Amino acid sequence: MLNKKTEKKPQATNQFNQAVAGNSLTRDAWRRLKKNKMAVISIFIVVIYILLAIAAPILPIYPYDEIVLDHQNLPPSFTQNAGTLLLEKRLADLYTQAWRSGSLEVSEAEEEMLWTWIDANETNKVWDYMLEKGEQMSADGSFTFSATDQRRIERLEEKLMSELKVSIKSLWYTDPISNEREKLSSLTTEQLIDLYLDLSGTDIDTLKDQYTREIEQQLLRGIKDQNPELPDAEYQQMLEREIERLSESRFDSLIKSNILTKITNQIVNDANSHLGQMATDESVLFPVKEEISLNDTISAEVEASRINERIYYLGTDYQGRDMLSRIIYGGQVSIAIGFVGTITSVLIGIILGALAGYLGGKVDYIIMRIVDIMYGLPYMLLVIIAMAIFGRNILNLFFALAIISWLTVSRMVRGQIMSLKNQEFIEAARSMGASTWRIIFKHLVPNSLSVIIVFSTLRIPAFIMTESFLSFLGLGVSAPFASWGSLVGDGVGSMALYPWKLFFPALAMTIFLFAMNFLGDGLRDAFDPQSKNQL
Amino acid sequence: MTKYVIKRLLGIIPTLLIIITVSFFIVRLAPGGPFDGERNLPETIKRNIEAKYHFDEPLLMQYGRYMFDILRGDLGPSYRYKDHDVNFYIFESLPNSMILGVIAISISVLFGISSGILAAVKQNTWADYLGMAFAIVGISVPLFVIGPVLQYVFAVKLQWVPTSGWYTVDGNWITIILPAITLSAANFGTIARLTRSSMLETLRSDYIRTAKAKGMKSSTILFKHALKGTLLPIVSYLGPAFAGVVTGSVVVESVFRIPGLGKFFVQSSFNRDYTLIVGVVIVYSVILIFMNFIVDILYSLLDPRITYK
Amino acid sequence: MKKNTNKGSAPLLDVRNLQTYFKTDEGIVKAVDGISFTLGEGETLGIVGESGSGKSVTNLSIMRLIQSPPGKIVGGQILFEGKDILTLSEKELRHVRGNEISMIFQDPMTSLNPFLRISTQMIETILLHQKMTKKEALKKSIDMLKLVGIPAAEERVHNYPHQFSGGMRQRVMIGMALSCEAKVLIADEPTTALDVTIQAQILELINELAKKLNTAVILITHDLGVVAGMCDTVCVMYAGKIVEKAKTEDLYASPSHPYTFGLIQSVPRLDKAQDGKLYSIEGQPPNVIDLPECCPFHPRCNKKMDICTYKYPPVKKVGENHEVACWLYADEKEKSST
Repeated sequence: MLNKKTEKKPQATNQFNQAVAGNSLTRDAWRRLKKNKMAVISIFIVVIYILLAIAAPILPIYPYDEIVLDHQNLPPSFTQNAGTLLLEKRLADLYTQAWRSGSLEVSEAEEEMLWTWIDANETNKVWDYMLEKGEQMSADGSFTFSATDQRRIERLEEKLMSELKVSIKSLWYTDPISNEREKLSSLTTEQLIDLYLDLSGTDIDTLKDQYTREIEQQLLRGIKDQNPELPDAEYQQMLEREIERLSESRFDSLIKSNILTKITNQIVNDANSHLGQMATDESVLFPVKEEISLNDTISAEVEASRINERIYYLGTDYQGRDMLSRIIYGGQVSIAIGFVGTITSVLIGIILGALAGYLGGKVDYIIMRIVDIMYGLPYMLLVIIAMAIFGRNILNLFFALAIISWLTVSRMVRGQIMSLKNQEFIEAARSMGASTWRIIFKHLVPNSLSVIIVFSTLRIPAFIMTESFLSFLGLGVSAPFASWGSLVGDGVGSMALYPWKLFFPALAMTIFLFAMNFLGDGLRDAFDPQSKNQL
Repeated sequence: MTKYVIKRLLGIIPTLLIIITVSFFIVRLAPGGPFDGERNLPETIKRNIEAKYHFDEPLLMQYGRYMFDILRGDLGPSYRYKDHDVNFYIFESLPNSMILGVIAISISVLFGISSGILAAVKQNTWADYLGMAFAIVGISVPLFVIGPVLQYVFAVKLQWVPTSGWYTVDGNWITIILPAITLSAANFGTIARLTRSSMLETLRSDYIRTAKAKGMKSSTILFKHALKGTLLPIVSYLGPAFAGVVTGSVVVESVFRIPGLGKFFVQSSFNRDYTLIVGVVIVYSVILIFMNFIVDILYSLLDPRITYK
Repeated sequence: MKKNTNKGSAPLLDVRNLQTYFKTDEGIVKAVDGISFTLGEGETLGIVGESGSGKSVTNLSIMRLIQSPPGKIVGGQILFEGKDILTLSEKELRHVRGNEISMIFQDPMTSLNPFLRISTQMIETILLHQKMTKKEALKKSIDMLKLVGIPAAEERVHNYPHQFSGGMRQRVMIGMALSCEAKVLIADEPTTALDVTIQAQILELINELAKKLNTAVILITHDLGVVAGMCDTVCVMYAGKIVEKAKTEDLYASPSHPYTFGLIQSVPRLDKAQDGKLYSIEGQPPNVIDLPECCPFHPRCNKKMDICTYKYPPVKKVGENHEVACWLYADEKEKSST
């Protein structure tokens, strides 16, 4: 501080002889922005988020869509791995059972406390307490498990130790004659069926029966996901309709993926039995990479890791997926939709707004009437309808949002252009024979750019909010993909038992939205100090 | 003035027509008719059903009939529920949504304006900072985060209020608090910030300086001279605010399990009950358009500079 | 005719060493830096200077209407009838504002409240300072409007400001300002925002009414021609300081400060041929942020001396009631005392 003051003084004395340096709007705005602490912090936060989103595939996190059913709803922990948590869960359960059956005795006061918890439906507290109490009592020898329980625990420990996650990195087919290797997935369905028949020894009819049944079930699951809470008969009807509608090629690819899954399963089973041995005798350091061949033609490169050694810093969701990686990947989707959607809508808005503003007359009238009418529509609801009818996927969502959000930009750009159009430099450009397009995009648009930048920055969080809003309702991004909205939506139902499923995605999202809003405010104040405090 | 009102009312018509038309064609375009499931019906019954829903007529006829029905206030039969028509379901749930919406709007306007004024008058004091902190939270945090978090803190942890419920169902008025706060948060934030900046700008204006130079009390200046000018931008924000409440109620009603129009809307969009969805959208649109109309009239009444031509 | 002030009694308004500073991001702006002047009853004082020289801030300071923050009156006294305005309580201050000292602002388009009828705005002013019923106040408002020359005042009093033209609005402002028979009227560039044809009318109106009601006037302007016609005394301001103060005739007859000289030269005159060219003072008024201890005019001055670049000149008397702050008139002793 002191330094700055002493630096400033001589500059002031010099003022009279000094030529005043011209300062461009951008540089001036940047100087003002740097003074705004919140905005600077926000820039850092936004950059960190964007880097995380971009780097998501190479970050050392577990796959966001890998379902580990044993790991459902694990609480967040920095120190204990999944195995320990599962074991503790089991122990807590066993201690509680022991207390309820009377073999573990607690004091009168404790008894009362435990029952009040149970009455208040706070079973989590009961388990936590019983675990602590039981461990303590086991340690000082005042309680021992019954033999069956003891065995159960041992078996669980063994299982947790030996359980492996085998993931297939690549699947290969080796041609027996030419010895050429190619990816298994590049084979045709017929070839795959032949290979599988060869491998399993079943006949073609049984296989056909099997995969038809399985595909039907798969389709039914999809229908049930999209239309919950309907009577079974209705589902059956919908399924029949769905199958009728399926095209030949689509059906073919369904069969192909079914057969591929079967082969994969066999490889995983093979690898499990082969590597499981190594897991128990602790002779190998996991994760391990290995090449496994089923027969002469089919081989695979697999990676096996001790699944229960995973540590979930932010816990897991209802299907045992890692919340941390889901939040990062969800952020990727949300941020991408926010940025790309904003850019798209701003571009549409600029083009239409610039045309309306510069050309005026009929073009202006038509565009602005369209804008007026669309403003009157409850567009969020129309988006919801569109999502309900045309299907829930990211692309549809993105289009639905981009189509409705260009309105404000076009109005703003039109206003800017209208006021700029009559200024001398445009007259000058026109008098020198510049074309309309050139005038619009070389002169007018750049001059309204600062307004557009500020608006876009404030538009991004709004876009993310809208996307998350739809995903929250289950109308946006759907599983296995995630967005912050869908994660919050997943967490809401079970927040009493598993609050982390609600709070971490909500927190991640809120921080980003805060940062974007502060940044937008900062930019606006920086570019347009006159409108300070304006919304 | 009357002329202006009539002109504005006439201006509503094209918007309404577009909404109805778009709705009609969306429903007709939608994959899968309502009775496709009942394929095995005898031909005669099928024809009867089609006649009942007028699917046997040419598209233009259907469109005309649909338009006519809607203008009469009949939103048609539900595709999914066979017991009642769309009107029944809508008018059963609409009052609940209305009550929630009106309370939420009142909260956001009342608290928004007063904390905005307070923040402007006590600029750069803790009252200003506190009010604006709340405002930015309301703006930045989506309501589907605010709702569950409030629910978790006040219903699950502190147990001051029940997690869900609604007074028409269980007669408990306290259940309205959390949903109303959640729904008002975003508008509260925007209105508070809008009021603050508008008030600051007004207080810096020349005519306030004139009033001060005349020796007026600051309280008189605030309420007699500054308030009207301050409120103008807030009045014009009310239109979007209503739209926000309508959209927001969809989420809030789902989160707090309120038997309102919004919850119905989400359910029917999952069920693909097209007539019901479209009916809800039309009802919402009419409400919104009407609100915008009132806001426009209010604005022109507040600002003497606007002439009604 | 111009009136001589009574030397014996204390002046109506006595501004002593007033300092008003503004705090900005770039530094402290000394908008008004130690100025003093007096105003007698019924007297007319002109304050002249370029934009940004501190004229308006001076007068807003007298009314204590400086926005704070960023502005602050940091020193000096403003004695009105012997009482220091700067130490008045909020309530006493309100009694002075509008009642004892009233003000007309630069831009009549924005100075009236667009949301309230003229009648409302005038009546509230009158009721604020005088014991009257609403009806009487309305009557007085109409009378005032008639006085300032608004035609059909009975009907127009109920109009909104936007229904008046700029000149008419300024008349309304004058009527409002004079409705409480204030002793001092501060007119802050009352004609800048108006058409040239109306300017003369408005000035004439102010002059006439001030005479009639025996109101003292402080007229702020950048137009020396206006001053010549109306004012008894003139203060010339430059960069927050009064550089020359004199009777109007003296100032025109013998402008002492190079800046005043320049100003007078640059007024276009028909009676004096100026070989087809208008005189202008070269350069720009200085940025008053963190102004160094020098004469702020020296970069534009054609009589610049060495000392001007590092020391502010003392105020010297060069005639009766004629003061100037310039090194040209300082003694050698003062010059060498650094």
